[in-house]
Amino acid sequence: MIEVKSVEKKYARKKILKGVSFTANKGEITCLIGINGVGKTTILNAIMALTPINKGQILIDGEPLTKNSFEKITFIPDTITMLPHMKIAEAMEFMNDFYTCWNQERANELLGFFRLDPNERISSLSKGNTAKVNLLLGLALDVDYVLMDEPFSGIDMFSREDIANVFTSHLIENRGVIITTHEVGDIEHLIDKVVLLDDGIVRKEFSAEQARENEGKSVIDVMREVYQR
Amino acid sequence: MKNYLKLVNFEFNRIAKLYAVLIGVTFTIQIVGVIVQSRYYLNMANEIMYDVMLSKSQFLENYDKISFSQIMNSMWFLGSIWFCVAAVVFYIFIIWYRDWIGKNTFIYRLLMLPTTRLNIFFAKITTILIMTLGVVAIQLIMLRIETLLMKAIVPKVFIRDISLNEVVTIMPEFNFIIPNSPIELILIYGAGVSAVSILFTAILMERSFKWKGILAGLIYSAVAVGLMISPLFINEFFLNGFFYKIEMFVLEIIMGFLVLAGSIWTCRFLLMKKITV
Repeated sequence: MIEVKSVEKKYARKKILKGVSFTANKGEITCLIGINGVGKTTILNAIMALTPINKGQILIDGEPLTKNSFEKITFIPDTITMLPHMKIAEAMEFMNDFYTCWNQERANELLGFFRLDPNERISSLSKGNTAKVNLLLGLALDVDYVLMDEPFSGIDMFSREDIANVFTSHLIENRGVIITTHEVGDIEHLIDKVVLLDDGIVRKEFSAEQARENEGKSVIDVMREVYQR
Repeated sequence: MKNYLKLVNFEFNRIAKLYAVLIGVTFTIQIVGVIVQSRYYLNMANEIMYDVMLSKSQFLENYDKISFSQIMNSMWFLGSIWFCVAAVVFYIFIIWYRDWIGKNTFIYRLLMLPTTRLNIFFAKITTILIMTLGVVAIQLIMLRIETLLMKAIVPKVFIRDISLNEVVTIMPEFNFIIPNSPIELILIYGAGVSAVSILFTAILMERSFKWKGILAGLIYSAVAVGLMISPLFINEFFLNGFFYKIEMFVLEIIMGFLVLAGSIWTCRFLLMKKITV
């Protein structure tokens, strides 16, 4: 389980996170929702120790993040994390070199799934295919947790469909996923848990299924209630 | 250790092509310099011998012979050496900033590698060291080739033969990069590594704290440099040369190590606790 406990974060004098707390379980897809600038990316960066926090604690399976945690948790940011001159095959080789949890079989499967050419250079890829390569590099790691930052942002409809299909496949199964988005439509039916962020705090944390079954409300209905109150 | 070596290999490969170009350009300039300078001397000698009606031996009695140190003292050589030094100093900054700047934020990947983040620091400083030593080693080989080239262009009687050792000793630029004794080697390259570590610390301070980091980096650099030169300064101005040379050497080594250790510790802290992608 990923536990985010009372996390506070300031940029200069502006407080972005004002005591954010939530949990994300293994085997579930947790979606962080909020408008741009609310601190969704900052939370993911903080979980991966890519930005310092001012207060609070973040635990992964009960322990703070260490170098070994990167074999257990991975982050797929909204920009490609490989060098532009690299071919897709070279990027995979780099991952294989450094990560013991790299699963080449799964990487090959993802190449086929996304119809990517391993000999293509990252710099020559379309935005949609760049997002797919980023996803490939993250999902081919045999990790327990995957963090994804706006995986659907600014890409074409067919690439969005391809990426959405990943969530219903065995590639995600049994992993804990935290995904951020401000357009919930694409994945509403896939989400297990929702964390609604606003003004640096968690406004509501709820199970999407319970909201549907007990209250007959979709995620968007709950969002409307919370944000338009 | 394995991850450190992999990172060094990776970092060096990232710059290898540009580095090859840098070396190629540098030594092309030097070769052209040898040819131009040698021919210039020969033309001058011919003109004088023709105009004043001097024989070879009369010319050599009245005019200087050419030596390799003359060629090396030209802008062809000095310029190319300073060009290399400037390129390496420039790369000390670029080696970090290239991971943040532009569309591709490779720093995410580097910081998420399952290895201690200090390995990133060590890999980058090792790459700078390899680049520097590489230039020096190739320069030494090139000096031999360039001497042979000069001898091939200029007839033997016009050449004042001096050994490469003498050439290197005469010129401060070369004496600096190719030290004469093991003690100088330790001092110069030790100070070099410490200086790079200070710059790396200042860069990481800027990357961690932005504007405040620039100020912190400047203060850190001033304090570290002050510490490094403090034995020399105190000995010269307050103790009137109280310490022997060897004692000063030991004191400088201790100060260099202190600064290096302080920089490594600070960089580790920044990379672990303060860095922002």
